[in-house]
Amino acid sequence: MSFDAELDAKGLNCPLPILRAKKAITALNAGQVLKIIATDPGSVKDFEAFCNQTGNELLSSAEVDGAFEFMIKKS
Amino acid sequence: MAKRLSAEERRASIIKVAKRLFAQAGFHGVSIDEIVKEVGVSPAILYRHFESKDELYEAVLHEFSATRESYVEAVVANDIGFEQVLRSMTTVFVSSIMSHPDMLKMEMHSQLEGSEASQEFFLNRWKSFTDYIEFNLAELQAQKKIHPINAKATALIYQGIIREVLLQKCVQQADRFQEMPVAILVDEVISLFMKIIEPRK
Repeated sequence: MSFDAELDAKGLNCPLPILRAKKAITALNAGQVLKIIATDPGSVKDFEAFCNQTGNELLSSAEVDGAFEFMIKKS
Repeated sequence: MAKRLSAEERRASIIKVAKRLFAQAGFHGVSIDEIVKEVGVSPAILYRHFESKDELYEAVLHEFSATRESYVEAVVANDIGFEQVLRSMTTVFVSSIMSHPDMLKMEMHSQLEGSEASQEFFLNRWKSFTDYIEFNLAELQAQKKIHPINAKATALIYQGIIREVLLQKCVQQADRFQEMPVAILVDEVISLFMKIIEPRK
Protein backbone atom coordinates (compact mmCIF):
# COMPACT_ATOMS: atom_id res chain seq x y z
CA MET A 1 0.00 0.00 0.00
CA SER A 2 1.40 3.41 -0.85
CA PHE A 3 1.57 6.25 1.63
CA ASP A 4 2.52 9.90 1.64
CA ALA A 5 4.24 10.23 5.01
CA GLU A 6 5.68 7.86 7.56
CA LEU A 7 5.87 8.15 11.34
CA ASP A 8 8.19 6.02 13.42
CA ALA A 9 6.72 5.77 16.94
CA LYS A 10 8.63 2.67 18.00
CA GLY A 11 9.46 2.42 21.70
CA LEU A 12 7.02 5.17 22.65
CA ASN A 13 4.13 4.71 25.02
CA CYS A 14 0.69 6.00 24.29
CA PRO A 15 -0.40 8.72 23.97
CA LEU A 16 2.81 9.92 22.30
CA PRO A 17 2.25 7.94 19.06
CA ILE A 18 -1.26 9.41 18.89
CA LEU A 19 -0.03 12.94 19.49
CA ARG A 20 2.68 12.65 16.85
CA ALA A 21 0.19 11.13 14.41
CA LYS A 22 -2.19 14.00 15.07
CA LYS A 23 0.59 16.45 14.23
CA ALA A 24 1.71 14.52 11.14
CA ILE A 25 -1.85 14.34 9.79
CA THR A 26 -2.26 18.09 10.18
CA ALA A 27 0.53 18.50 7.65
CA LEU A 28 -1.19 16.25 5.07
CA ASN A 29 -3.86 17.08 2.51
CA ALA A 30 -7.24 15.36 2.52
CA GLY A 31 -6.97 11.91 0.94
CA GLN A 32 -3.28 11.48 1.73
CA VAL A 33 -2.13 8.50 3.75
CA LEU A 34 0.07 8.37 6.86
CA LYS A 35 1.87 5.17 7.78
CA ILE A 36 2.66 4.70 11.47
CA ILE A 37 4.85 2.08 13.09
CA ALA A 38 4.49 1.60 16.84
CA THR A 39 5.48 -1.00 19.42
CA ASP A 40 3.08 -0.22 22.29
CA PRO A 41 0.40 -2.96 22.15
CA GLY A 42 -2.10 -0.40 23.43
CA SER A 43 -1.67 1.53 20.18
CA VAL A 44 -3.98 -0.90 18.34
CA LYS A 45 -7.02 0.15 20.35
CA ASP A 46 -5.82 3.73 20.58
CA PHE A 47 -5.55 4.25 16.82
CA GLU A 48 -9.02 2.78 16.35
CA ALA A 49 -10.36 5.24 18.92
CA PHE A 50 -8.33 8.05 17.38
CA CYS A 51 -9.85 7.45 13.93
CA ASN A 52 -13.34 7.15 15.36
CA GLN A 53 -12.96 10.46 17.14
CA THR A 54 -11.24 12.40 14.39
CA GLY A 55 -13.13 10.97 11.41
CA ASN A 56 -9.92 9.98 9.62
CA GLU A 57 -10.05 6.55 8.02
CA LEU A 58 -8.08 3.63 9.42
CA LEU A 59 -7.24 1.79 6.18
CA SER A 60 -5.33 -1.00 7.87
CA SER A 61 -3.92 -2.16 11.18
CA ALA A 62 -1.48 -5.07 11.20
CA GLU A 63 1.21 -6.69 13.28
CA VAL A 64 4.49 -6.97 11.38
CA ASP A 65 7.65 -8.40 12.98
CA GLY A 66 6.52 -7.64 16.51
CA ALA A 67 5.56 -4.05 15.67
CA PHE A 68 2.21 -2.56 14.76
CA GLU A 69 1.62 -0.82 11.46
CA PHE A 70 -1.26 1.50 10.78
CA MET A 71 -2.36 3.25 7.60
CA ILE A 72 -4.52 6.29 8.15
CA LYS A 73 -6.15 8.32 5.41
CA LYS A 74 -6.84 11.93 6.16
CA SER A 75 -10.50 12.80 5.71
CA MET B 1 -19.90 -24.84 51.33
CA ALA B 2 -19.16 -22.62 48.39
CA LYS B 3 -21.97 -22.12 45.99
CA ARG B 4 -21.61 -23.70 42.57
CA LEU B 5 -20.17 -21.33 40.05
CA SER B 6 -19.33 -21.73 36.39
CA ALA B 7 -15.63 -22.18 35.63
CA GLU B 8 -15.45 -18.61 34.44
CA GLU B 9 -17.14 -17.22 37.55
CA ARG B 10 -14.90 -19.34 39.75
CA ARG B 11 -11.81 -18.05 38.00
CA ALA B 12 -13.00 -14.47 38.41
CA SER B 13 -13.75 -15.00 42.10
CA ILE B 14 -10.24 -16.38 42.70
CA ILE B 15 -8.68 -13.41 40.90
CA LYS B 16 -10.77 -11.00 42.95
CA VAL B 17 -9.64 -12.45 46.27
CA ALA B 18 -6.02 -12.79 45.11
CA LYS B 19 -5.96 -9.15 44.05
CA ARG B 20 -7.08 -8.00 47.48
CA LEU B 21 -4.58 -10.22 49.29
CA PHE B 22 -1.64 -9.38 46.99
CA ALA B 23 -2.45 -5.69 47.52
CA GLN B 24 -2.38 -6.18 51.29
CA ALA B 25 0.73 -8.31 51.61
CA GLY B 26 2.55 -8.52 48.29
CA PHE B 27 3.40 -11.57 46.21
CA HIS B 28 5.51 -13.29 48.87
CA GLY B 29 3.25 -12.31 51.74
CA VAL B 30 0.34 -14.44 50.55
CA SER B 31 0.20 -18.21 50.25
CA ILE B 32 -2.01 -20.31 48.01
CA ASP B 33 -3.50 -21.77 51.20
CA GLU B 34 -4.63 -18.34 52.36
CA ILE B 35 -6.14 -17.57 48.99
CA VAL B 36 -8.15 -20.80 48.77
CA LYS B 37 -9.31 -20.37 52.37
CA GLU B 38 -10.71 -16.93 51.58
CA VAL B 39 -12.28 -18.09 48.34
CA GLY B 40 -13.74 -21.13 50.09
CA VAL B 41 -12.45 -23.78 47.69
CA SER B 42 -9.87 -26.55 47.81
CA PRO B 43 -6.33 -26.01 46.46
CA ALA B 44 -7.15 -28.56 43.74
CA ILE B 45 -9.83 -26.26 42.37
CA LEU B 46 -7.45 -23.29 42.32
CA TYR B 47 -4.80 -25.33 40.52
CA ARG B 48 -7.39 -26.30 37.93
CA HIS B 49 -7.47 -22.63 36.95
CA PHE B 50 -3.92 -21.51 37.70
CA GLU B 51 -0.83 -23.68 37.53
CA SER B 52 1.05 -21.67 40.14
CA LYS B 53 0.99 -18.56 42.31
CA ASP B 54 3.03 -16.84 39.60
CA GLU B 55 0.35 -17.58 37.06
CA LEU B 56 -2.34 -16.25 39.38
CA TYR B 57 -0.34 -13.07 39.99
CA GLU B 58 0.04 -12.63 36.25
CA ALA B 59 -3.70 -13.06 35.82
CA VAL B 60 -4.26 -10.22 38.30
CA LEU B 61 -1.85 -8.01 36.36
CA HIS B 62 -3.58 -9.00 33.17
CA GLU B 63 -6.87 -7.82 34.59
CA PHE B 64 -5.31 -4.49 35.49
CA SER B 65 -4.01 -4.15 31.96
CA ALA B 66 -7.59 -4.38 30.74
CA THR B 67 -8.28 -1.20 32.73
CA ARG B 68 -5.42 0.54 30.95
CA GLU B 69 -6.03 4.25 30.69
CA SER B 70 -6.91 5.62 27.29
CA TYR B 71 -5.48 9.05 26.67
CA VAL B 72 -6.86 9.32 23.17
CA GLU B 73 -9.73 11.54 24.17
CA ALA B 74 -7.49 13.75 26.28
CA VAL B 75 -5.16 14.19 23.35
CA VAL B 76 -7.70 14.59 20.58
CA ALA B 77 -9.97 16.98 22.44
CA ASN B 78 -7.18 19.37 23.29
CA ASP B 79 -4.86 21.57 21.35
CA ILE B 80 -1.41 20.12 21.32
CA GLY B 81 -0.29 22.32 24.20
CA PHE B 82 2.14 20.68 26.62
CA GLU B 83 0.48 21.75 29.84
CA GLN B 84 -3.06 21.15 28.65
CA VAL B 85 -2.38 17.60 27.49
CA LEU B 86 -0.38 16.84 30.64
CA ARG B 87 -3.28 17.99 32.78
CA SER B 88 -5.85 15.89 30.98
CA MET B 89 -3.59 12.81 30.92
CA THR B 90 -3.00 13.17 34.64
CA THR B 91 -6.71 13.50 35.34
CA VAL B 92 -7.39 10.27 33.43
CA PHE B 93 -4.57 8.43 35.20
CA VAL B 94 -5.34 9.66 38.70
CA SER B 95 -9.01 8.78 38.50
CA SER B 96 -8.14 5.34 37.16
CA ILE B 97 -5.77 4.64 40.08
CA MET B 98 -8.19 6.11 42.61
CA SER B 99 -10.77 3.59 41.46
CA HIS B 100 -8.23 0.72 41.55
CA PRO B 101 -6.14 1.47 44.65
CA ASP B 102 -5.13 -2.21 44.82
CA MET B 103 -3.05 -1.65 41.72
CA LEU B 104 -0.99 1.05 43.45
CA LYS B 105 -0.55 -1.13 46.52
CA MET B 106 0.64 -4.04 44.40
CA GLU B 107 3.00 -1.66 42.65
CA MET B 108 4.48 -0.62 45.98
CA HIS B 109 5.04 -4.23 47.00
CA SER B 110 6.52 -5.08 43.64
CA GLN B 111 9.11 -2.32 44.00
CA LEU B 112 10.87 -4.31 46.69
CA GLU B 113 10.00 -7.90 46.08
CA GLY B 114 8.58 -8.16 42.61
CA SER B 115 9.89 -9.98 39.60
CA GLU B 116 11.38 -8.07 36.72
CA ALA B 117 8.21 -8.71 34.75
CA SER B 118 5.93 -7.18 37.36
CA GLN B 119 8.21 -4.19 37.87
CA GLU B 120 8.20 -3.62 34.16
CA PHE B 121 4.42 -3.90 34.08
CA PHE B 122 3.97 -1.14 36.64
CA LEU B 123 6.73 1.02 35.24
CA ASN B 124 5.11 0.87 31.86
CA ARG B 125 2.11 2.83 33.09
CA TRP B 126 4.34 5.66 34.24
CA LYS B 127 6.21 5.57 30.97
CA SER B 128 3.26 7.28 29.28
CA PHE B 129 4.08 10.34 31.38
CA THR B 130 7.84 10.18 31.26
CA ASP B 131 7.83 9.64 27.47
CA TYR B 132 5.40 12.47 26.99
CA ILE B 133 7.35 14.91 29.15
CA GLU B 134 10.78 13.97 27.82
CA PHE B 135 9.75 14.27 24.20
CA ASN B 136 7.95 17.53 24.56
CA LEU B 137 10.61 19.22 26.64
CA ALA B 138 13.26 18.13 24.14
CA GLU B 139 11.15 19.54 21.33
CA LEU B 140 10.40 22.82 23.12
CA GLN B 141 14.12 23.26 23.76
CA ALA B 142 14.98 22.55 20.15
CA GLN B 143 12.45 25.21 19.15
CA LYS B 144 14.08 27.54 21.70
CA LYS B 145 10.75 28.08 23.40
CA ILE B 146 12.06 27.17 26.86
CA HIS B 147 15.33 27.49 28.73
CA PRO B 148 17.57 24.42 28.75
CA ILE B 149 16.38 21.79 31.19
CA ASN B 150 17.23 18.14 31.75
CA ALA B 151 14.16 16.48 30.26
CA LYS B 152 14.80 13.09 31.79
CA ALA B 153 15.22 14.42 35.32
CA THR B 154 12.16 16.64 34.89
CA ALA B 155 10.07 13.64 33.83
CA LEU B 156 11.25 11.80 36.93
CA ILE B 157 10.20 14.69 39.16
CA TYR B 158 6.73 14.50 37.67
CA GLN B 159 6.44 10.76 38.16
CA GLY B 160 7.57 11.21 41.75
CA ILE B 161 5.10 13.89 42.72
CA ILE B 162 2.09 12.28 41.09
CA ARG B 163 2.93 8.94 42.66
CA GLU B 164 3.26 10.66 46.05
CA VAL B 165 -0.13 12.36 45.62
CA LEU B 166 -1.69 8.98 44.88
CA LEU B 167 0.05 7.39 47.86
CA GLN B 168 -1.20 10.11 50.17
CA LYS B 169 -4.70 9.88 48.79
CA CYS B 170 -5.32 6.21 48.26
CA VAL B 171 -2.90 4.32 50.44
CA GLN B 172 -2.23 6.45 53.48
CA GLN B 173 -5.34 8.63 53.41
CA ALA B 174 -3.27 11.18 55.27
CA ASP B 175 -4.99 13.65 57.58
CA ARG B 176 -2.63 16.32 56.33
CA PHE B 177 -4.46 16.50 52.98
CA GLN B 178 -7.95 15.63 54.07
CA GLU B 179 -9.36 19.03 53.28
CA MET B 180 -7.87 18.88 49.78
CA PRO B 181 -9.73 16.72 47.24
CA VAL B 182 -7.41 14.82 44.94
CA ALA B 183 -8.36 16.90 41.90
CA ILE B 184 -7.35 20.11 43.68
CA LEU B 185 -4.11 18.60 44.94
CA VAL B 186 -3.21 17.40 41.43
CA ASP B 187 -4.03 20.81 40.04
CA GLU B 188 -1.74 22.48 42.58
CA VAL B 189 1.19 20.18 41.91
CA ILE B 190 0.89 20.59 38.15
CA SER B 191 0.92 24.37 38.56
CA LEU B 192 4.06 24.09 40.71
CA PHE B 193 5.62 21.66 38.26
CA MET B 194 5.04 24.02 35.34
CA LYS B 195 7.02 26.71 37.19
CA ILE B 196 10.25 24.75 36.80
CA ILE B 197 9.88 24.99 33.04
CA GLU B 198 10.95 28.51 32.11
CA PRO B 199 9.62 29.90 28.87
CA ARG B 200 12.11 32.00 26.89
CA LYS B 201 11.07 35.58 26.56
